[in-house]
Amino acid sequence: MKEVILPPLAEGVEKANVSYWHHQSGDSVKEGEDLVELVTDKATFNMPSPSSGILKEILIAEGEVVKVGQVLAKIE
Amino acid sequence: MACRHPEWLRKKITLNAPLLQTKRILAECGVGTVCESGLCPNLNDCFSKGRVTFMILGDLCSRKCRFCSVKKGFARGVDEEEPVRIAEAASRLKIRHAVVTSVTRDDLDDGGAGQFVKTIEALRKRCLDITVEALVPDFKGEVGPVRDVALSPLDLFGHNIETVSRLFPSLRGSASYDRSIRVLDMAKKTRPSLVTKSGIMLGLGEDCSEVSDTMRHLRNAGCDMLTIGQYLRPAEGNVPVSRFIRPEEYQEYKRIAYDMGFLSVASGPFVRSSYLAEESYLTLKEGIYERSDIAATG
Repeated sequence: MKEVILPPLAEGVEKANVSYWHHQSGDSVKEGEDLVELVTDKATFNMPSPSSGILKEILIAEGEVVKVGQVLAKIE
Repeated sequence: MACRHPEWLRKKITLNAPLLQTKRILAECGVGTVCESGLCPNLNDCFSKGRVTFMILGDLCSRKCRFCSVKKGFARGVDEEEPVRIAEAASRLKIRHAVVTSVTRDDLDDGGAGQFVKTIEALRKRCLDITVEALVPDFKGEVGPVRDVALSPLDLFGHNIETVSRLFPSLRGSASYDRSIRVLDMAKKTRPSLVTKSGIMLGLGEDCSEVSDTMRHLRNAGCDMLTIGQYLRPAEGNVPVSRFIRPEEYQEYKRIAYDMGFLSVASGPFVRSSYLAEESYLTLKEGIYERSDIAATG
């Protein structure tokens, strides 16, 4: 099981809004393809999947806030 | 909370070890970057390639520009060891083209020009083949500090105009449009062979003709290189974005700028004055060599 963790986006930016999941739980995902879209005041970021596998669980839903270092999802 | 940005303002995050390595080297050397202080949206991208823009003279700025996220306040004194630490960080990051900027230090008699010169000299001494770009404040428009930096061993002299003349009073307080144009003019007149560079942010409420006027004023001051990018509000306390400029508009501005005679123009949503500075500088040098070849062969 691989945890998808929010990396630092910029210094001083500690959180982002989860705006869009490109996949739903149960989907098969490939390493490097867009997984989740995040919004900060300054920009919108697309985070790639850190590994290939099945997206088992989404822990932060669209519209919710995620902090740097927090687990967004689990991939198996 | 923040809203989604238009399609052309979405960035892909890089997930890699070099990003963390860059952050570690900066922390170990105890040097600041405008990438971090300015909450740059390209940080993730640049840091993962070991690219940074150093910010000297502390992290407190004596000006209060409403678009900027650098902390405001009054710093004291100058850190004598800072130039050596910057050179150390540049060496460890294997930087080939160093960009050095600073906060504005209206409290210092020379505005910090001496520290710029020491930092440029330290970089030259430590990293033999490095090229150095200084992105300086306006030094209150005084000729002495501008001349000192222009005559130091740097390759590129930058000073950002940031926005159009009309918006200066409301956005930039104690800065002055004419003075900033004059800084570029003074640098060029001090050393005509020195390459000069400036940057404009769009989306602060300017119109097309004002942007063209600004480009013309920069050209008249001998400015060689131009960067044009989208203003993005760093935090809720900063001035809001008036408009997201469409990609095709950047292309049009680029064409206008080249027609006016700029030697290198970077224009696009995520362009920042030092984003891909190394590539811009190399392109410019190649262009100049090509032109001088043509001139030499007749």
